[in-house]
Amino acid sequence: MSILEVENLKKSFGSLEVLKQISFDVNKNDVIAVIGPSGSGKSTMLRSLVQLEEIDGGSISVNGEYMVKGGAYSKPQQVKQIISKMGMVFQHFNLFPHLTVRENLELAPKLLKQGTVAENRALSMELLEKVGLSDKADVLPAKLSGGQKQRVAIARALMRKPDILLFDEPTSALDPELTGEVLRVMKDLAKEHMTMIVVTHEMEFAKDVASKVIFMDNGEIIESGNPRDVLTTPKMERTKTFLHRTLSR
Amino acid sequence: MSFDYLLSILKPMLEGAQATIILFIVAIIVSIPLGFLLTLAVRSSIKPLAWLANTYIYVMRGTPLLLQLLFIVFGLPLIPVIGEYLVIDRFVAACLGFILNYAAYFAEIFRGGLLAIDKGQYEASKVLGLSRWHTMRHIVLPQMFRIALPAVANESVTLVKDTALLYAVAVPELLHFAQTAVNRDFTIVPFLLAGIIYLLITLCLTLFFKWLERRLRFD
Repeated sequence: MSILEVENLKKSFGSLEVLKQISFDVNKNDVIAVIGPSGSGKSTMLRSLVQLEEIDGGSISVNGEYMVKGGAYSKPQQVKQIISKMGMVFQHFNLFPHLTVRENLELAPKLLKQGTVAENRALSMELLEKVGLSDKADVLPAKLSGGQKQRVAIARALMRKPDILLFDEPTSALDPELTGEVLRVMKDLAKEHMTMIVVTHEMEFAKDVASKVIFMDNGEIIESGNPRDVLTTPKMERTKTFLHRTLSR
Repeated sequence: MSFDYLLSILKPMLEGAQATIILFIVAIIVSIPLGFLLTLAVRSSIKPLAWLANTYIYVMRGTPLLLQLLFIVFGLPLIPVIGEYLVIDRFVAACLGFILNYAAYFAEIFRGGLLAIDKGQYEASKVLGLSRWHTMRHIVLPQMFRIALPAVANESVTLVKDTALLYAVAVPELLHFAQTAVNRDFTIVPFLLAGIIYLLITLCLTLFFKWLERRLRFD
């Protein structure tokens, strides 16, 4: 059953078309890896799903409810309601530096009056435990390594119990030796059947964890499907060139 | 130079210092929030409001504080017809002048603080579902204030010293009493004493801000 439907997404920055008629569906429990060269529009596509970019045309719907239909956004209240079903993890973590790890997790539920203080406390501790950082609850983000920050960011996104979790190059800002701990957390989430869309350069992750791979280039989806097919026996010339370049690096 | 003499001039000078300190406290308490409102006005999407705020800041920072004080205290009452209603207590008028002037400087300081906040902070707040008000109150303001703190501290020390401009609008304050004693007793001591009192005030202020900076540090 599809949980997210994207149809003919269009987006331009000035005269530059960054997204040209992007369409794809996400089913429940899918882990979708979006790959492609920089500037291909993958991040813009992901960001438009939570309205960090306004799209110029096309439709986005979650659980059958339209956030945008034919380029026209629904009422702000409904858009907000739909975005609340999604969590986002950013390349640069975007933790709140003046708040402790625990406060980073609990701020949004507290301000939005979701759950009691005790429930949120229990949930935040459970999630920190899950990402292996329960001992860092009262620490400020500046005291954490990049990998730890990203794991906190994942826990923070999970606090709202999202239906879909979006990752925008979650390991690109990390030192190579720190990517493993973040990918491990993402793998665990995949095992628990969390629906995820991951924009990434980690081909191993795409191959091992993803249920579907989307290859984008120049604002278009060139090829998508089963990871093994797309990554090992690509049909399109552009996919081959990209994979060749990436793997021979 | 007797100890008794020192005591005898210290008393009026400390009374003068009271005016200095009261002016400082009033000016800082009112001009900081006012400055922040100005910052918001400058960044407002309502163009006339932004233009008005920018012009205000330009005028306040582009003319001498002394001129502004003289204008409010001695100039306003000279305006035909409404002038007679604009005669206010000199100390109150001076406070007003300081508040209006310093609000413009604080507005610039806070604007710098806002610019230093990463756009990722707004993006994370939005995706987490925080309203614009919540984002401002819980994410932006605390960070902006912390970033602006060293500049605010610097501006506060300048404010302490600028209170000496009360002298020019004939409000008795620390410097006024020192000057009187120097003229009367023909000695340099009251000036030295005044200097020491200013130094003590700015020292307290500096220590306070250093403490605050340490307490609020998050990087």
